[in-house]
Amino acid sequence: MALTDARIPAGCDTVAKLFRHTAAARGERVALMHKDYGVWQATTWRGYAEQARHTGLGLAALGLRPREVAAILAETIPEWLFTDMGIMGTGAVSVGLYPTSSREQVEYIVNDSGARFLFVEDEEQLDKVLERRERMPRLERVVVYDTTGLKRFSDPLVMSYDELLALGRAEAERAPGAWDALVDATRPEDRAILVYTSGTTGPPKGAVLSHANLVFAIDRWGEMAPTHDGDDTLAFLPLCHMAERMMTAMRPLAYGGVVHFAESPETVLENLREVSPTVFFAVPRIWEKLHSLVTMTLQDATPLQRALYGRASAVAHAVADRRMAGKPVPFGLRALYALAELAILRNTKRLLGLSRARLIGSGAAPISQDIMRWYVALGIPIFEIYGQTECSGIATFYRPEEFALGTVGKPLSGTEVRLSAEQEIVIRGPHVFQGYLNKPERTAEAIRDGWLHTGDVGAFTPEGRLKIVDRKSDIIITSGGKNITPSEIENKLKFSPYVTDAIVIGDRRNYLTALVMIDQENVTKYAQTNRIPFTDYASLTRAPAIKDLVWAEVEKVNKQLANVERIRKVHLLDILLTAEDEEMTPTLKLRRKFVNEKYKKEIEAMYGG
Amino acid sequence: MALLELRNVEAYYGPIAALKGVTLDVNEGAIVAVLGANGAGKTTLLKAISGALDPEAGTIRFAGAEIQKRAAWDVAAAGIAHVPEGREVFRHLSVADNLKMGGFLRRDAGGLAADLERIFGYFPALRARVREMAGNLSGGEQQMVAIGRALMARPRLILLDEPSLGLSPLLVQEIYRIIGRVKADSGVAMLLVEQNAKMALDVADSGYVLEGGRIVLAGSAERLRSNEDVKEFYLGIRDAGVRGVRRWKRRKQWR
Repeated sequence: MALTDARIPAGCDTVAKLFRHTAAARGERVALMHKDYGVWQATTWRGYAEQARHTGLGLAALGLRPREVAAILAETIPEWLFTDMGIMGTGAVSVGLYPTSSREQVEYIVNDSGARFLFVEDEEQLDKVLERRERMPRLERVVVYDTTGLKRFSDPLVMSYDELLALGRAEAERAPGAWDALVDATRPEDRAILVYTSGTTGPPKGAVLSHANLVFAIDRWGEMAPTHDGDDTLAFLPLCHMAERMMTAMRPLAYGGVVHFAESPETVLENLREVSPTVFFAVPRIWEKLHSLVTMTLQDATPLQRALYGRASAVAHAVADRRMAGKPVPFGLRALYALAELAILRNTKRLLGLSRARLIGSGAAPISQDIMRWYVALGIPIFEIYGQTECSGIATFYRPEEFALGTVGKPLSGTEVRLSAEQEIVIRGPHVFQGYLNKPERTAEAIRDGWLHTGDVGAFTPEGRLKIVDRKSDIIITSGGKNITPSEIENKLKFSPYVTDAIVIGDRRNYLTALVMIDQENVTKYAQTNRIPFTDYASLTRAPAIKDLVWAEVEKVNKQLANVERIRKVHLLDILLTAEDEEMTPTLKLRRKFVNEKYKKEIEAMYGG
Repeated sequence: MALLELRNVEAYYGPIAALKGVTLDVNEGAIVAVLGANGAGKTTLLKAISGALDPEAGTIRFAGAEIQKRAAWDVAAAGIAHVPEGREVFRHLSVADNLKMGGFLRRDAGGLAADLERIFGYFPALRARVREMAGNLSGGEQQMVAIGRALMARPRLILLDEPSLGLSPLLVQEIYRIIGRVKADSGVAMLLVEQNAKMALDVADSGYVLEGGRIVLAGSAERLRSNEDVKEFYLGIRDAGVRGVRRWKRRKQWR
């Protein structure tokens, strides 16, 4: 446990100071790895610090003052971190925008945050800004990381990142003590970052997190998922998402390790195999995808291979169940497990890119317990985090050895988690945010009597572990008066390799129905194997045999459910939604409210309307 | 029932899958365009239909009968003529002999002579060069010979593989004008594989977009023409954006 002691060095009470300290202490150690033209390139902590310093000083030279705001609109790339640390180092506030944002969303966040400076990844992101420039009067400068295609473009609003770095370098030479003075002036109570959370109703809200909030959360990361300098991680979620921000930008400031950047959101699985991280944090969608990858690979395997896998998996699950129940594993079973590991499990882990994984985590959305069990059976320690942006991303957690499946564990030390009279989960502690920017009434709704009201309904187990029931607003009350928690049913549906996501409907209705988004790859493969004719995606979702396939999966889930919870009808969504669609979150989860609105007609049809 | 029906057709070159389960229909008398980039599987698709290549799986029905296992000559006899990519005329035979080769399965001498006349009607340029060795003709004329040769078989379906390949814009227009005329005159159905999406969609009734051996979009020619992805990736129509130049490409969605 030595690793988790004294996690934050003395005097590092802001992210900026912690970053400076860590970078100096780690010096020539590698901090970041990214690919250039297919070749991995390393950035040392010294290089990271220098880029951040030059970015920050460049911004200061352009007039960015402490407590003002600068924004970043880019994929998950090293420059994002250089800029993030650069902005915070000057005492200014850093805000991230999803790279999938529409130009309207960009305009809204730039204006709402009052950002004077905006960093954009490339030509494509720049165009979003230029199209709306008249509507963003306070935006003074746009800095472009990748200027490919912009050689002959010139505009007083726009400059390249290289130009900004040159400006910062000159500034560093002119006034060598300037950077340290800026960092020294940062205060724990100051705003550090703004994280926009997509409201299901109304415009996005900017959650204000202070340096103190973040430093506390970084400190507690160590008790939750201890990582150290030998660890390799893979970054792929948008960095403006609190989970990736903590994992990739914040966590290494205390614990080191090497962050590897995935080449693109589409290559995550390949990069995972290539990097084979020792610690990997991902959203449920990824864990489901990896699980279904194995399921589908098995369908192509020989009967012998399938039988072996089935045997190994049964042994592994038997061992996992005993371990989870705290029971000893008899010698015979242990021997079989060793055999299974040698013959099957090892290769499975290699296929997934998890052969070196010593710790994997899930968070940002509820995950199916069957999926979690499967990873435990594979022998990969998995932990789960519950939290939200408003509490710096973490509220409760359990460590892999606790096997608290079905719960989200216990509160971080030094924080309190309780249930309100309405069973709503409420949180108090140094990690709770300062409020929403420009939205005092929303802040007052979120923080009441000093407690952060999460909007989630929960329950505690006798051991004091928290169980999440569902979002308060998502709970379905059928016309028969039954309370039903849709996410539980949805997670069961998502366990199927043919189902990517599902939304259960039934509020004030006689029975439950579901909208289902099929897994394109796996369903296509099924159609091919079973000679089911189809042309494009829409026709695939309309093929009767595919409807039957999905229905059979639904029936499997129905068998595990009480009568009132059973899904009576399903509708398959006929367009493949992406993160750029408003129906989908950047972590690739369907948005209940948007989907319900958009597919009103299809939903009514399932109720005979 | 469509004249030609493909159901889950798969084709391989060794271990490489070129067609990964293609389903499509060509109705009697219709022109159907298949769009796709290099390597999408367009030529393989036509070869699988005409019997030049055996599909690994799936069914191909022509006029109600399964033809996926039949030999190329048998498929030709059933009424499918294949105009291959790059023309493939018999270079050392005369234009006349080339055209007659197209009718080698026919026994009606009178009909053959009338059809030869009809073809010269479509392609007057060929009449003047009827004794010339086909190999000496220009690319455009060779394309005319290849199409004429296909017509000589009096097929119910012509498979056209990139008729515009390597031709000048003017000649491309000419060829397509004739394709339209042939369709109007004879009611022969055509499955047209093209990279020149604009020409193909102008003449076609319906179409498919093939990518990586799979169909990603299907619909009427009108629907395809108005699809944002087809516009950007196949028709080269892009909104230039605020800067007047736009280099980045949208992400394909195919919906």
